[in-house]
Amino acid sequence: MRGQGTWTWGLAVALTAFMFARGFAQGGPDWKALEPEMMEQFQAVLRLDTRNPPGNEHIVAEYLKGVFDKAGIPAQIFALDANRSNVVARLKGNGKKKPILIMGHSDVVTVDDAKWKFPAFSATREGGYVYARGTVDDKDNLTGGLMTMLLLKRYNVPLDRDVIFLSEAGEEGASNFGIGYMVSQHYPEIEAEYCLAEGGGAIRIGGVAKYTTVETLEKIPRGIELVAHGISGHGSIPLKSNAIVHLAGAVARVGQWRPEIRFNETTGTYFRGLATIAAPENAKYYRDVLSTDPKLRAAADEWLFENEPLHSSMLRTSVSPNIFAGGYRSNVIPSEAKATLDVRALPDEDPAAFLEQVKKIVNDPAVDVHFTAQNVRPASKFDARLDSEPYKVLEAAAKRVYNTVTLPTMSTGATDMAQLRARGVQCFGIGAAIDMEDGPKGFGMHSDQERLLESELYRFVRYNYEVVVDLARAK
Amino acid sequence: MIRSAKALAERRRSSERLALLLSVFAFAVLQSQPISPDWRALESEIMRHYQAVLRLDTTNPPGNEHLAVDYLKQLFDAEGIPSQVFALDPNRSNIVARLKGNGKKRPLLIMGHTDDVTVDASKWRFPPFSATRDGGYVYARGTVDDKDNLTAGLMTILLLHRQRVPLDRDVIFLAESGEEGNSNFGIQFMVAQHFDQIDAEYCFAEGGGVTRIGGAPRFATVQATEKSPRGIELVSHGISGHGSIPLKSNAIVHLAAAVARVGEWRPEVRFNETTGSYFRGLAAISPPDVAAHYRDILSTDPKVRAAADDWIVEHEPQHASMLRTSVSPNIFTGGYRSNVIPSEAKATLDVRMLPDEDPAAFLEQVKRVINDPAVEARFPAQNNRPPAAAARLDSEPFKAIEAANTRIYAVPTLPTMSTFATDMAQLRAKGMQCYGIGPAVDLEDGPKGFGMHSDQERLLETELYRFVRFNYEVVVDLAGAR
Repeated sequence: MRGQGTWTWGLAVALTAFMFARGFAQGGPDWKALEPEMMEQFQAVLRLDTRNPPGNEHIVAEYLKGVFDKAGIPAQIFALDANRSNVVARLKGNGKKKPILIMGHSDVVTVDDAKWKFPAFSATREGGYVYARGTVDDKDNLTGGLMTMLLLKRYNVPLDRDVIFLSEAGEEGASNFGIGYMVSQHYPEIEAEYCLAEGGGAIRIGGVAKYTTVETLEKIPRGIELVAHGISGHGSIPLKSNAIVHLAGAVARVGQWRPEIRFNETTGTYFRGLATIAAPENAKYYRDVLSTDPKLRAAADEWLFENEPLHSSMLRTSVSPNIFAGGYRSNVIPSEAKATLDVRALPDEDPAAFLEQVKKIVNDPAVDVHFTAQNVRPASKFDARLDSEPYKVLEAAAKRVYNTVTLPTMSTGATDMAQLRARGVQCFGIGAAIDMEDGPKGFGMHSDQERLLESELYRFVRYNYEVVVDLARAK
Repeated sequence: MIRSAKALAERRRSSERLALLLSVFAFAVLQSQPISPDWRALESEIMRHYQAVLRLDTTNPPGNEHLAVDYLKQLFDAEGIPSQVFALDPNRSNIVARLKGNGKKRPLLIMGHTDDVTVDASKWRFPPFSATRDGGYVYARGTVDDKDNLTAGLMTILLLHRQRVPLDRDVIFLAESGEEGNSNFGIQFMVAQHFDQIDAEYCFAEGGGVTRIGGAPRFATVQATEKSPRGIELVSHGISGHGSIPLKSNAIVHLAAAVARVGEWRPEVRFNETTGSYFRGLAAISPPDVAAHYRDILSTDPKVRAAADDWIVEHEPQHASMLRTSVSPNIFTGGYRSNVIPSEAKATLDVRMLPDEDPAAFLEQVKRVINDPAVEARFPAQNNRPPAAAARLDSEPFKAIEAANTRIYAVPTLPTMSTFATDMAQLRAKGMQCYGIGPAVDLEDGPKGFGMHSDQERLLETELYRFVRFNYEVVVDLAGAR
């Protein structure tokens, strides 16, 4: 039995290896020929209005289910709320290894329609770009994962591990419908050794990919609310206690404040790595911000805030006042005004101590400072390891596809990986290549002109597919 | 010819003298009759009408002033007082009632607006349309703006009619809609379309009153001129993006800094004839410690003036607003989601300009104070009130008001400039002599949050009754046949 078993096993491996070699020899995916299909899928999901709230991610789940059904890939819908469903598809492997999970969230942040040059759900192609809400958050990963599944199936790639695809709802502030629900109610459906999600990607500077980031750690989002109270009255008689004036002073102070710079292993590695590959004039700032000389550090900090706000946020617990609401009629002094600060805490930040710092900066007894009652993501138990198999595969793919080195990063945004990392899954954040300059110019994620280069969509699908094949194919 | 004409004239003159004598006699007879209303007995009726109109939700927007008009119309009909409803929009009607006089003099118009400013119901201890009586006060939106004048005008008309007071001039009552920002439905509509219905020599409306300090009436004010409301809108533009990555251009941070600067700024102090007389008069009747501030604010020594200004801003915000073009940032909106940096934020400044202010030059000053190219400052397209000439202080109505204040409140009368706009602007622009009056309120109520437009707007019951009497007696004095 044992001998026969070994023989059978050996034959299977040989056959598999043969088929794999043949499959690849016969061309593997013809990436050029696949471009219209990728674009079609990308535009199709971008055109589904899944702004959250209300979400309506079921329209994406139904679309994907239809695509999987047609391709003969088993897929299933899971929903806490019928309008906010998730879809899981699975390609079976031979079970040698534990599964890999590839995921993308189907919801997008809301839009201020009036601000968009191209309608936010038009997925207009213009000048080599696709413009739409979700182009880089997160329908790029959704399309990358979908195409990887379709191609693995189409090319009958033999697998050592199951490849699970998850399109989850509610990532943008309502994860109880998405990853929270899947982890607590249907964890066996998505349980995996590794996972790939949003949060990284190649960075282009001056139009050329310079390095690729893989997210291995993320900041913890904490909202802080400022509430000013004053005396209400008629606007023709200004009052010293005007709640709007007090709150405006507080928001101005806290908005201009830059909390202390602090590094951890990931960000230290990242900035040191960046210094070695950046142009000399930029490298200077990455080295200086690591300096112990407070003057050098402050000057570098200033430069980064002005020119590379993403890097500035990686240095510290960041504070961005994003909502200010007070008053309801121009001739009535309101008795209350509220502002919401979007705070992204470094993983080691002490929330209570930080709140005290904010109070000291606000320095106005008329302004109350407190944490919002918010669905806080769990702190991660395991950071993804830099010496792990997936990290090495990601490094190799970046070298091959983008011709860049890979740097580990701490994401400034929260992702659904937090819940999986809390379960011990090693998660890595990836993504399409974007221009470093796009953020400050107003083309970044959540902006009113969110966009992705068409050529970078195609390249990302290839990167995604090759990483998964490398990690999951039968060897 | 000449002589006989002279004789004829002489005869006519003597017959006029006789008529005059007769009318004096008749007046004396009337005076000797107990025509004065029994004010004590009328309190329950006054309170009933006051609470009735306070309980009609006429927050504007949307207004629905027709609720108040329906109530008034039914009262006038029941009493047999001719009245008529005029409306540009059936939900935003106005009502005019008229008591005919003998035509010797041109009419007198008494008015009150039926709409209220909106409420934030969650902030009210007593529901804003409950007209709850508590501790001698009535609490409701509109108690001092302007259902006090509405009730007083109504009671005056009812009592003139009931007492059959003979009149030398028509007394016209107008309850107008849309005073709080939509005067196109109210006074503007009436002036443009039905001016003959309200045309008068004199008018009384809101804007004055008696000021109590420490619970005692100290002086009365008559509004003779008013500041001109001009909104200024601040708009900041920045780059939108994800809240996890703060941006230096954050529109909310830029606008907050601008609003903080402009909110802390105090425009230059400047006097006109009305405010000069007002502060001088106030200094003469105030206790020495307070009077010092009123004198100091008129000083030419900038240091003395600045110290007085600080004290007034802190303790008497209404007086602070009379000193200057005032700026109050009252609305700030920006952002729609906590993790999205918005690309735009907006704030609205409530600006009340001195009558002689140059709007364009003032806007430039605001821009200099803001000093941020990311923040735009502009006048919104707003329904501006026409500029109005000040009412005369040597006139018959001013004297009648002065006399009533001495008689009823035992206080001197000071002319004032109101810090807010009233519907008198449109009438003054037509040449009417308009005077703003009102009940007695505590000077301390404003800073304590009980003032007009506040979340605890209130009026003392006793002061409502006293104001109705004042209103009635001033109207009788001006319009009663002599």
